[in-house]
Amino acid sequence: MSERRIKWSYMDHWRSNGPAGPVDQWHSHRTMSAFLKQIKAVGFDAIDTFDFRLWQMYGDYGGPAGYQQMVQDHGLERIVNTFHAADYDLRDYAPHVPETHERILEDFRVTMGHWSVIQLDNIIVMPATLYYDMEPVTADKLKITAELWNQVGEITAGYGVRLTCHHEFFCGIQSEPDIDTFYAYTDPRYVSLFVDTAQHCIASVDPVALYRRHAHRVSGFHFKDTRDVATGDDHRHRPDSEIMAPTTGKWFYEMGTPHGLVDFEAMMTAVRDNEYRGWISVEHDKANKDGGDFSEATAVARWYAANVLEEIYR
Amino acid sequence: MKDTLRWAYALNQWNFRLDVFVRHSDQLRALKTLSACGFDHVELPAGTGRWDNLARPEVILLNHGDHAGFLDFLRRGSVRGVSSVYWDPGQPVEEEGWAFRSTANRHDHDAIVESAKPFVEFCAGVGAEQLVVRPVGSAWMSPPPDAHGLRTVGELWNRVGELAAAVGVGLALHYDCLGAVHTEAELVGLLEATDPALVGLALDTAEFTIGGIDPVAFYQRHAGRVTHVHLKDTRYADTGQEYRMPGAETTMLRGGAGRRIERWFFELGTEGGLVDVKAFVAALRSRAYPGWVVVESDHGGNPAELAMLNSWYLQYELSVAKS
Repeated sequence: MSERRIKWSYMDHWRSNGPAGPVDQWHSHRTMSAFLKQIKAVGFDAIDTFDFRLWQMYGDYGGPAGYQQMVQDHGLERIVNTFHAADYDLRDYAPHVPETHERILEDFRVTMGHWSVIQLDNIIVMPATLYYDMEPVTADKLKITAELWNQVGEITAGYGVRLTCHHEFFCGIQSEPDIDTFYAYTDPRYVSLFVDTAQHCIASVDPVALYRRHAHRVSGFHFKDTRDVATGDDHRHRPDSEIMAPTTGKWFYEMGTPHGLVDFEAMMTAVRDNEYRGWISVEHDKANKDGGDFSEATAVARWYAANVLEEIYR
Repeated sequence: MKDTLRWAYALNQWNFRLDVFVRHSDQLRALKTLSACGFDHVELPAGTGRWDNLARPEVILLNHGDHAGFLDFLRRGSVRGVSSVYWDPGQPVEEEGWAFRSTANRHDHDAIVESAKPFVEFCAGVGAEQLVVRPVGSAWMSPPPDAHGLRTVGELWNRVGELAAAVGVGLALHYDCLGAVHTEAELVGLLEATDPALVGLALDTAEFTIGGIDPVAFYQRHAGRVTHVHLKDTRYADTGQEYRMPGAETTMLRGGAGRRIERWFFELGTEGGLVDVKAFVAALRSRAYPGWVVVESDHGGNPAELAMLNSWYLQYELSVAKS
């Protein structure tokens, strides 16, 4: 069998029902074990996680290395990426506000210290505050933001980890021209792009075209689908438009969903054409909404990867 | 699954009431889930009515045109075929005027044989290897069968077995923990009342364990009669008389009375599981068991979750290669 050029990782989101009612996988060792077994059973090779789980990793598993051992004990290779889901605040943590930069830099020095016991590929960030905290988005703000992430990327590179940016539809840098400007201002050595297929579609950005334009900067993907494009003020809701936007109760679906807006076959063709090698992360954030089920959505997504996408490139 | 044993998965858990597993798109999601878990054959449960559109041969054909059309439908979910069909002739169905029939009643035999024909023909049409049947009704509804009663039941199944064999389909009697044939001696008596060339046994590891029969030991003693397997676990065994509680289908198996145990069936590898799954599968391997091993969640929790946990157990505890 030829060497696989693509491996599949699963991004942390999960819900299940147990004796204690609805819980996520971090509820107990038992629920974590069941989660990891299910992910591995359908053919994922690894997982991604969130930085805000670090404290649970210490408390429940002895730290990131102990948690990764738990992951490996279930047949998965490792933790590939972590998502640094910062709670942006204009007062002390906002990439376009220079006065907050030192705190952000210190946060990454500390965070990378925690992760230094294992080898990650990427630390993923939303590179800007919520849209309504950044607007109007100006070239100056983009430049200040880019300067911050260049410095953060230098810190993470010191640990062998790429700093990569994930553009939520409700973040300050989500339009096509702003994204292009941002990458023009950032240093390719220190700042990469993480393409989330659904988020870009929701923001009316074609993820395939975006990827083709920036392929040399791309260090990973979230493959998930959506059926809706944000309209009006959808991207301006506190605390998080994914949850609060009035037009759409459920934004995200697994790959292969009927009426999905992401052209995954074109996406995978672009991945092939650019000879991308490495990990693609599958995500279906909040899959349990409107009667959805994480287990089933995960299996169906992996079926789609195996039966449609791997026919294009594997 | 790529293995010397042939693995399939039972679809019964998805269909917990008549209107929840009807849309073809929902059924395809289940098939894709099973495919992602490594299963490429399924066992279908019999049922009744137009909503039960994976359960009655004529309704399946109405939905998919013909046998080939149904197989094409399965293949859209990367499932290649049907291993088996489960049917309980004692379960009244709309299609037959809700007639209540008993395999212990010789006067019902002609009607039961007639009822079996569409299932046999369907199995042959889609390439299903086994028609799996409930051989007797529930213990709480009738006294334990004596030798004469076992012979009566055996005569019926020999007739159905002959019918099935004529078109290349096997017939397997499925022991369950509520059945009137309950003890090992009664089960052996029933098997002895049937023609081994026409009638086999479907050994369900959890049902045996709940009923007080060791599935590993039984298989070692009677391997030649076992033509079909349902593999699942349980955390409980009957105390000895619970299966005789009136309405045991709900009073016992759904926790309505007695110890009030709501869930009897569990995924492979469950904590506190009573079935020695590894020993049982090793026994199957040691005797080069040729039939289907149908993994079954039965009614135990989230169907997709349990299928995934069962798949993990097969891959990492039983060393079954997925592909």
